[in-house]
Amino acid sequence: MDYLYDGSFEGLLTCIYYHYYREKASGIYQQEYYQPALMTDSTEVITDPMLAARVSTAIEQKISKTSLDLVYRVFVSSAANKEFLILHYLRWGFRLGAKVDLYYSHPDVYPLQKIAHKVTAEVHRFLGLLRFADAGNFLYAVLSPDHYILPLIADHFADRLAGERWIIHDRKRDLAVVYDGHHAAEDSARYQRQWYITDFPHPGPLLFTQKEQYYQKLWQLYFDKIGIESRCNPRLQAQFVPYRYRGDLVEFKPIFIKNDG
Amino acid sequence: MDTMTKLEILAGAAKYDVSCSSSGVSRNNQGGIGNAKSFGICHAWSSDGRCISLLKILLSNDCIYDCRYCVNRRSNDIRRASFLPQELADLTIQFYRRNYIEGLFLSAAVEISPDYTMEKIILVLTLLRREYSFQGYIHVKVIPGADPALIQQAGLLADRMSVNIEQPTEQSLQLLAPQKKLPVLYASMAQLKEQIQIHKEDRRHLRHAPRFVPAGQSTQMIVGASADSDLTILQTTQSLYQRFNMKRVYFSAYVPVNEDSRLPALATAPPLLREHRLYQSDWLLRFYHFKAEEILDPVQAYLDTELDPKTAWAIRHLELFPVEINRASYEELLRIPGIGPKSAQRIISQRRVAAVSVDELKKLGAVFKRAQYFVTCKGVYPGHHPLDPMTIRRIMVPEPPTVQLSLF
Repeated sequence: MDYLYDGSFEGLLTCIYYHYYREKASGIYQQEYYQPALMTDSTEVITDPMLAARVSTAIEQKISKTSLDLVYRVFVSSAANKEFLILHYLRWGFRLGAKVDLYYSHPDVYPLQKIAHKVTAEVHRFLGLLRFADAGNFLYAVLSPDHYILPLIADHFADRLAGERWIIHDRKRDLAVVYDGHHAAEDSARYQRQWYITDFPHPGPLLFTQKEQYYQKLWQLYFDKIGIESRCNPRLQAQFVPYRYRGDLVEFKPIFIKNDG
Repeated sequence: MDTMTKLEILAGAAKYDVSCSSSGVSRNNQGGIGNAKSFGICHAWSSDGRCISLLKILLSNDCIYDCRYCVNRRSNDIRRASFLPQELADLTIQFYRRNYIEGLFLSAAVEISPDYTMEKIILVLTLLRREYSFQGYIHVKVIPGADPALIQQAGLLADRMSVNIEQPTEQSLQLLAPQKKLPVLYASMAQLKEQIQIHKEDRRHLRHAPRFVPAGQSTQMIVGASADSDLTILQTTQSLYQRFNMKRVYFSAYVPVNEDSRLPALATAPPLLREHRLYQSDWLLRFYHFKAEEILDPVQAYLDTELDPKTAWAIRHLELFPVEINRASYEELLRIPGIGPKSAQRIISQRRVAAVSVDELKKLGAVFKRAQYFVTCKGVYPGHHPLDPMTIRRIMVPEPPTVQLSLF
C-alpha cells in the first residue's frame, strides 16, 4: 500500500503511524507528486495531529532526541526519496533504539546523515548570508535556499532582532517568515519567538528608503576596502560564497560608486 | 570629514588585523538587539577569501608610534581619520540589524597616549552596551601600555580581548617595533588570564556575577617580517597557549607596506604557504595533542612546503604505522593523517557496535587519500604501496603542473 500525505511533517508522521497500526507501507509519497503505479494500491492519508504527536514522542523516547532532529532535517531537505529513507531509518531505529545513531555508516543511516549534514550546512550558511534591507517600517530579506530551511532559521532571527519587524522571504517556495517585534515588545511575556510562516507569492515592488541606500553603499565600500590586494584569491572566495547566492548579497550588487574622497 | 571617507580610511587601515572570529560565547537577547552564538557566524567573504564576521575597524589611525612594519606608523604620509564614538556605534548597529556583521572588532592606533586611546574605546563600548543594549559580539584590542584599570573596564564590556605579540621573539620586536616592550605585553596578557579565571570562578557561585571577556583572549604575530624560524614561532605559540590560556594565536603573512632596510623588500609576495603550514601546525597543537618539538626540531626548523605537518610527521615515524582502526585508542587515531577529531570520534562510536571496514572508513569522514597508507581495517592494508618513506612521499606530493617549455 502506498501512502499519500499532504506534504506536512505531521502528515508524514501520520503515515508512519498507519504503517505500524494499519497496513505496512510500500512507499510514502507527497500527494501532489504521486504517480500511480499499476500494481500497488494507494490511499490518501488525512493528517492527524494527535497521531503525529504520538509518533514524534515515540521517536524521542524509544530512539532519541537527536534521531527526531535528524528525521526533521531530512524532511525539510529537497532529497527526492526522503520519505522512503525516513521510513527505513525509523523501522531500523524502533528495532535498535538509541543505538541506531552509532551505526553511522549503515546503509539505512548514512544517507540520512549525509542529507541532514547538507541541511545543517545550509542553515548555518544563511545565518550569515541573509541580508536585510530597511523598507521603511519593516526589514525585508530574500533567499532561494536549496532546502526548506525557513523554520530552522526563524528562531535565530527572532531572538537576535527581537525588537524589529521583519520578513524573510523564500523566493523558491513562495513562503515567508513574518515576525512583528513592535507589538511583542509591549507585552514582555510574549516577547520571544512569535513568528509564523505564510504564503507569500508576490512581494510587489519594495520601496527602500534613502537611508537604506546610504548604508548599502557604506557596506559595499567597507567590503571593498577590507580585502588585501596582494592576497587576492577569488577561487577561495567562491568556495565560501558560491555564485548562485550572490544575486541577493548587497556587497555583490553593482550599485557601488567609488568614493575617492 | 564624512562617515564614508572615514570608513574608507579606517577599514583600509584595519585590514591587516587577522582575527575575525565571533565564536566562544553564547548569549541570548535580553530585551535589546543582538545575541551571540558559541559556534560563531561568518557573514561575508572578501576578495582575498578571508571571512568577514565582525566590523573590523580602527577607531583612529593617527598613531604616535613608529613600528616599522605598520602602514599607520607616524612617519608615513597618509590620510588620518578618527571616528566619533557615536558615529561608530551607530554604524555598528545599522550594519548589525541588516545582518551584515556579527559584531564589532575594535582596534585603534595609539592616539596621544595609550590611556587616552583606551578610554575612547571604552566610550564606544559603553555606548553600544548601555545606550543601544547591544548584545552582539565585541572584540577589543588592548592598546599596549594602557593602564590595567582601563583594561579591566573594557574587559567587562567586551567578549574577547587581544594583545598583539607582533613578533615571535623579543629581539625581533625590539628591532621592528622599538616602542613596544614584550614584558608590558605579557603583563597585559597575564592580567586578562587572571581576571578571566576570577570572574569564571565567581559565576560558579553567583549566577549574576558580571562576565569578563567570556570568549577568552587571543593574539597575533606577523610571519616573515623577521628572520625567526618556524620552530621558534611554534614554540612561542605553544608557550602562549600554556601560559595565558589563549583561545587562538593568529599568524599573519607579512605584506610589505614600508620601505625599510630591516624588512623584506616592497616587492616581496606575502609568505602565504608558510602561513598556511603554520596554521596547520597550530591545529595540531590545539586539537591533536601535538607538541611543537614533535612537529619540528632544531635540525629541521622549517615546515615542509610539500606536505602538511601531520603527514610529514607520520612519514618520519613510520615505525608507528600502520595502525589498526578497530583497536587504536582515540589518541592513536588522531595521529593518523587524514583522520581528525570528528572522524576519530565516529570511528570509536561505531566500532562499539560493528567493526569498521575499509569502505566504511570513507563514510565516517576520514580523508582516505591520505589515511590509506597508514591504517589497517580488520587487518586489511588498503594502501597499494609498500610502507616506506620515499615511496609514500612520492605518491603524496602532488606533481608540479606541467609547463610548456619555452623555445628560447
